[in-house]
Amino acid sequence: MTDIGFIVAAYGVILGGMAVYAITLRRRLASLRDVSLRIRGEAAAADERPDEAP
Amino acid sequence: MKTRVVGIIGLVAVVAAAVFGLFVVPADLNQGDAQRIMYPHVASAWLGYLSFGVTALAGLLYLWKRDLRFDAVALAGAEVGVMFTAFAIWGGMMWGKPVWGTFWQWEDPRLTTTALLLALYVGYLLLRRLTDDPSRRATRAAIVGLVAAIDIPIVHFSVIWWRGLHQTATIGDPSKLLHPSAPPLFIIALMSMLTAFTFVWGYLMIRRYQLARIDWQIEEHGRLGRISAARRAAAANAGRAVAPALDARTEEVAP
Repeated sequence: MTDIGFIVAAYGVILGGMAVYAITLRRRLASLRDVSLRIRGEAAAADERPDEAP
Repeated sequence: MKTRVVGIIGLVAVVAAAVFGLFVVPADLNQGDAQRIMYPHVASAWLGYLSFGVTALAGLLYLWKRDLRFDAVALAGAEVGVMFTAFAIWGGMMWGKPVWGTFWQWEDPRLTTTALLLALYVGYLLLRRLTDDPSRRATRAAIVGLVAAIDIPIVHFSVIWWRGLHQTATIGDPSKLLHPSAPPLFIIALMSMLTAFTFVWGYLMIRRYQLARIDWQIEEHGRLGRISAARRAAAANAGRAVAPALDARTEEVAP
């Protein structure tokens, strides 16, 4: 492999890896925020229906 | 919104620093174009140190204050630090092959202690998965994070303390701050890459912290749900046990 090959491999993995990690974090965060909002919604709905509680 | 701004600045800065390091700065006289790998390699290594330093400090603060937000910061530091250390090792290997003639040498203290650092913090992340109890997990992780941080100065000073394949610090040594052993253009390229990576590091740390906090809230909700379900089940079982006893007593009393 030439020097250029090593440079492309180094920059590609490092910069690409950072980009993939950032995108993964954003997606996981968006997905967990949805779950969190759903949980809060369910909790709020349960609070509004005290009569149905056992 | 502010986090997004940090991310955008980081993205633009990384692209600019990469273009500067790859196309503007001349090739090194001895190492040729392979020397351009130094910019992301060194920046990654420094941010790995910083991340693990943050993990150790946050762990210490957790042990002192018992606030789980510090544990979230420690987790963010460890995960981001593992990523940057892995990048530093990868960059070093891609630099080592054309310059040293080998990807890796176990006899070199800098390489081996860096691999140990990576292994220690991968272990830290695995350890966190061993228990569901947040305070127990945070305490164990804080202790391991503090102990593992001992390796950071060992990695940094290994090139001074022991003889090996890896070169000594170009500008990290205080005596070389005013008279670095690299040309000024190389130093500017390195500092540009370090600044750009630091913005990305800040963005990733904030996002990972936010993720850890939401994850913890969902985990807490699940735990509370399990506790209330167990209480309901226990109450139902108690009711079932009491009901036959009451029936028997009623039969005894009834004529």
